[in-house]
Formats: sequence, C-alpha cells, structure tokens
Amino acid sequence: MSADPFRWTPEHEEFRAVLRKLTESRTPLACAPAPASADQRERELWRAWADELGLPGLVVPESHGGAGFSRLELAIAAEELGRAVAGGPLFASAVLATEALLATGPDAAAAEILPALAGGTSVAALAVVEESHRWAAADVRTRVGDGRLTGVKHAVLGAADADVLVVAAREDAGVSLFLVEPGTGVEIVPLAVLDPSRPAARVDLTGAPARRIGVAGEGWPAVERALEAGAVFLAAEQVGGSRALLDAAVEHANTRVQFGRPVGQFQGVKHRLADMAVRTELAAAAATWAAWQEPGTDTARLGAAVARAHCADAYLETALDAIGVHGGMAITWEHHAHRYLRRARADLAVLPGPAEQRRLLETMIGTGV
Amino acid sequence: MPLDVTGLGLDALAARVRAWLEDHLPAHWRDAALTGDRHALAAIARDDAVTRAWYAELGDSGLATAGWPVEHGGLGLAADGVAVVADELARLHAGRPMSDFVGVALAGPTIVEWGTDEQKRRFLRPLALGEHRWCQLFSEPGAGSDLAALTTRATRCADGDWVVDGQKVWSSFSDRADYGLLMARTDPGRAKHRGITYFLLDMRSPGVEVRPLRQLNGQSEFGEVFLTDVMVPDTDRLGRENQGWAVAMTTLAQERSGLSGRPGVGPGRADALAARARDTGAWDDPLLRDRILRAFVAERVLQMTTVRAFADLGRREPGAEGSIRKLAHGTLDATLGLLATEVEPGGAVAHDPADGDAEAALDAFLSGKILSIAGGTSEIQRNIIGERVLGLPRDRDPYADVPFAERPRG
Repeated sequence: MSADPFRWTPEHEEFRAVLRKLTESRTPLACAPAPASADQRERELWRAWADELGLPGLVVPESHGGAGFSRLELAIAAEELGRAVAGGPLFASAVLATEALLATGPDAAAAEILPALAGGTSVAALAVVEESHRWAAADVRTRVGDGRLTGVKHAVLGAADADVLVVAAREDAGVSLFLVEPGTGVEIVPLAVLDPSRPAARVDLTGAPARRIGVAGEGWPAVERALEAGAVFLAAEQVGGSRALLDAAVEHANTRVQFGRPVGQFQGVKHRLADMAVRTELAAAAATWAAWQEPGTDTARLGAAVARAHCADAYLETALDAIGVHGGMAITWEHHAHRYLRRARADLAVLPGPAEQRRLLETMIGTGV
Repeated sequence: MPLDVTGLGLDALAARVRAWLEDHLPAHWRDAALTGDRHALAAIARDDAVTRAWYAELGDSGLATAGWPVEHGGLGLAADGVAVVADELARLHAGRPMSDFVGVALAGPTIVEWGTDEQKRRFLRPLALGEHRWCQLFSEPGAGSDLAALTTRATRCADGDWVVDGQKVWSSFSDRADYGLLMARTDPGRAKHRGITYFLLDMRSPGVEVRPLRQLNGQSEFGEVFLTDVMVPDTDRLGRENQGWAVAMTTLAQERSGLSGRPGVGPGRADALAARARDTGAWDDPLLRDRILRAFVAERVLQMTTVRAFADLGRREPGAEGSIRKLAHGTLDATLGLLATEVEPGGAVAHDPADGDAEAALDAFLSGKILSIAGGTSEIQRNIIGERVLGLPRDRDPYADVPFAERPRG
C-alpha cells in the first residue's frame, strides 16, 4: 500500500478544477468527442482534451510523449468526465489499449505508436473478447498464420474510430498481442449499443496483416494489467456519475413541491437520497484507494477488484434511485437520467463485472491481503 | 509520569507505546494476550487487584486517555495518534474495558470542554486512573431518538442545589457506575432544547435505583435508572443552567465519530468467516460463498472509507462523515452476524453446549442489530445525512419552539 492514500496535493485539486470547468462549459450533452468526427464540435472537444489537458497521454511516460502521471491523475479525470457521461475514445484508447501497450514492456512497435496516442492524433482500441463475451485467455481463438490474423472480436469499444487495433490472438506459445491497422482483411461492423457514448463494433479478421508486440505467448498479463487500470478508471467515472445524479436529485427534491412542501422533506425521499449518498461516498473512498495503489501489486489488484465490485453495482442502483426521485420527468427522453442509466448498465459488461471481481477475490480472501 | 511522545510520527509513536508496554505490562497478562488464551484473559479481567494496579499505571502514563490535553493527564494526541495507541493496547488486551467507554471516551472530553476547574480536578484524574466508572443517563422511555423530549425534572431548591425525579433507560453499565452523565429538564417553560441542564450525578446518592435489563443476546449490559427525590449539589452542574443541550452535543459528537483503532485495509471479519467456512465445509456452497464475498467487499470498502475519514480529519465536518460510516457499519454488522451462523453446521441453532464457535456465531447474530440502534438509529443517521450533508429541508418537530410544558402529550 502506498504511504498515504487520500492526501491530495494542491496540484491534484487544481487539475480537478480545470477539468470541472472544461467539462461544464464545453461538453455538449451526450457528446462523444472523436478526433476524426465529421462534427466540428467533437473534433474541437477532443483537441481540447488532448492539447489543453493532455488526457490521452496522462499515464504514458514522458519518454513516449506522455505526461508521465499515475492512475491517480487518470482517476481524477475519470471522475470529472463521468459527471457529464462524456464519451469519446479516452477509455478505449488512452486507458485500455494504452495500458496494454505499456504493459508489453519495451517494444519497438509499441514505442512507435505511443507518442501519437499520447498526443491524441491517433486512437487505438483493444480487441480481446470473442464469441463467449468473456475476458478469459482460454476463450481467445483468433489464430495467427504467416503474420496474419483470422478470427472474430466482439463488442470492441471504439473500434470504428480506431487508427490501430491492439488484438489478442493465439499462437503456439499462447496468447500474444498484435497491432492491426484497419484495411485489408479487417471488417469493422458497428453494433447497436445501449450506451451511445461508448460505441462498439464487431471486428472480423480474415487474414489481416499484424505485427506482434511484446514476447510471443506473454500477451495475457498485459491484458490483465489493462483490465486492472480499466477497473480503476471505471470506478472513478462511476463515482463522478453517481455524484452528478445525486446533486441533481437533491436539487429536485429541494424545489419540487407536493402536498405543500418540498418532497425532500418526506422521509421516503430523504432516506432514499441518504442511501444514494452513503453508497456514493463509500464508492468514492474505494475508487480513490484503488487509484492510489502501485499498479500490478497485490493491493492494486485487491483495490481494483473491490472498487469495481462496489462502484459498478452502486452506480446502477443510484441511477435507478435517481429516476425514482425525479419521477415522471425522468422517464422522458429529454431528461438526463437515462444517459446515466444506460452508462451504468453498459458499464457492468464492458469489462469483467462485479460477479467476476468476486470470483477473483475468492482467490485472495484469507491470503492476508 | 506521562509518556513523552512529542514530535513522534505515527510509526515511531506505535514503537514507543509498544516498548513501554513491553516494560510495564505484567508478564502473565502479556503472555495470555499473545497466545490468545481466552481463559487466562478472562481470569485476569476478573482479578481486581491486578486490573486496578494496571489501569492506575496505564492512566499515569497518559496512554489510557491519549486524546486528552496534557494538562489533564492525557498525551494531547490527535485522532490518528489516539488510534495508534488504541491499536497497541488492543494487541495486548491492555486497554480499558468496554465498560469504561462512557467514562474515558464521553465523560472525559465533555468535562474537559465544559467543566469548572474544581470539576476537572475531581473527575479527570480518577477517570484516567480507572478509579471511577461512568454511565450515561440520557435516554428515557419517552425520549429515545427525540432525546430533547426528556421529562426527568431537576428542580432548584432554596439553597441553590437540585432535586431530581424521573426515569432513565438504556444506560450501559449503570449497575456498576460511580457517576452518571445526567440530562434533566430544569425549565419546562422554555422550548424543549432550551430548558435542559447537564449534571454529573453521584450514582451512590440516595434515591438512585438501578435495575439491570437483559438484552436479546442474553447479556445484561444496560439498565433502567429510577431517580426519586435525588439531591444534586449545584457544584455538580456541568455548563450553565438550561444550556445542557449544547453540553450534550459534545458528548454525542464523541459517540458518533466512531473513529477507533488504527485505520487500515486488511483482513477482517469476512476473512475469518471464510476461514471458518472452509473448516466447516460451508465454503463448498457457491451461493453462500458469494454472500461472504459480498460482505468481504463491503467490509473492505468500509475500511477504505475509514482510512479516508482519518486522512480528512480537520478538513471535513467529522459528524456527517461519521453518520455515513455508522450507517454502513450497522448494515454490515447485521449481514456478518447472520453469515456467522450460516457457516456453522446446522446454522448453530442446535449445538454442543461446549462449542465455542457456535456460541460466538449466535452472539454475533443476536448482536447484529445493536449498531443500527445504539448511538442514534439508522433512520436518525439518514435524517442527519439528508439534512446536514445534502441540505434537504428539515423535518422539524412542529412544537420545537413551543414551551415544553405546553406540548401535546402522546
């Protein structure tokens, strides 16, 4: 465990304030900024994230063109973006794909693309899951032959926008990671998604030219490292979403008058909001504690699993509770509530969810961690 | 002689306390604690001569009251330092017993803040040395969550002293107490919060009668206290007349903060449950296993939240943060209590009378709801969170500003 979790520095607070200002003033609601979008606003927002804040390269070492920060700074960003359900390639590219690339160790091919990813001029996507929809090495069937990949990758986040795909495939030595560029032998089929802020696609690989990154057969630990980072990122994002929902629900309960008084005075409403607050504060402590751990250690694994197990369920519950507090208005398309509800439900499945985390914790309980 | 701990970081403080205990705690006590010999520890707890001598020595060192100011026999430590001391004492079962909680954790700080010099002289030193037991005389049959509705009367006599009449309830360890923290109504002509005065009651006064209550877990920790024409000298009044509510807030804030023990994230009750479940074979049931793992997640999350509470000391309002943790802790306690019975063969409902594991599991189950009620119910905590943390409109007593005597009676 790092020495002093929760001891924020003034720099952390300032970073948070800058992010809050940017997301509040410039995030068009439900906007998923994309560097190559036809929509001018999306391109501008992505450039602002990249140029003004360096978000895509936050955890990339300075030697690879990044800012060289830790998961803690990434978690601050996640929480602020989560408040606005901001989408875009950040999670798919700057967290999942980038963390996997960084975890493959010193690799020339990885080093070649990291600066562009860190600068936001290029985005990547991590393609692992196949027909089973399980994040398991044993379920990776995509094959390698003559430097070409053949297989089908399901529910790949951000694939349609990606300039490069980081693909898990099986060879004799085991699961390895490969770089694949959209083009010959790659068909990207966009899927209908519950959460439009995180587009996903199926990737059909039919003899797609690929370059291996890292050592043959040692790709899965890099995927696990990406999952650990992703769990911490999502937990923080969910805290931000929960807080935004709670703030809006409290404001509604303070102003909506029925039976001659603000509805927040009724214990049926007040206690529901209190439960939302309890869940959210516990989530915030867990997400932050997890972000504070040294990546790849036992405590980081424990923190990521515990935070993901608590925060993902808590977020969905709070999204449902928030709709209850707002009443009929929250059932309409125009109201913000369903964006959070969609995100919360989709979040359970975009990475191994709470049940998978408890399965992981089953191997840790009683081991003294 | 108070132990010198000035300028020590937390780890150095822990080392200093550990070394001091090494030198001073009787060897047989230390051995019993380190080997986890429950029978030997119970025998020590019953040995008045040994415990009295030890608590005097511990009190003299300042370690029993580490959070009190130095001039009153404490070490002047902040909450994190107090927690480190508590942990070191707990490791050797060398701290003051649960029955001293009211005295050390509630009475002491309240007297430090509100007491006259004479009261501080009379009460703080004996409290630190373990010579006095204290109890809390707040709740009444008609004043539970609505504490300010209390009706125990203190009437002023011509000589300035007081006569007290009324009934108190849920007073932990009242049958053993030398003194009680008493709230009584002194002016029913004022609104309910504004006519209460706080007293330090000598429990040996004529007219004080204690009847122990038996709890649902079979233990007898608290009692009813009947007060009939009890004379209380005015010098035993704590704080000004009719300002007892403000004094009580000091006591209640201490009770709710719930920051005890050194915060950390590590093996807890759920880990012990898993180990026990592996022994009994209950672990083979995947559904039960998942419920234990959910409790494991909840316990670790609560630990992380407590670590944050310590880090935030002085930066955030502690009371409200305490309500969030107390609520979560209450829920977790009930869950762990039920699970404790489920990992035992047959749910422990019928077992060998000598089976200590089954007995402990049943006690955990039967005690599971206590924390959701004692020290402010979970419903009251939700009101506090809703009103003071989230800023929702208050659900006020419509008679809060009416003279107490004119309130309708239920």
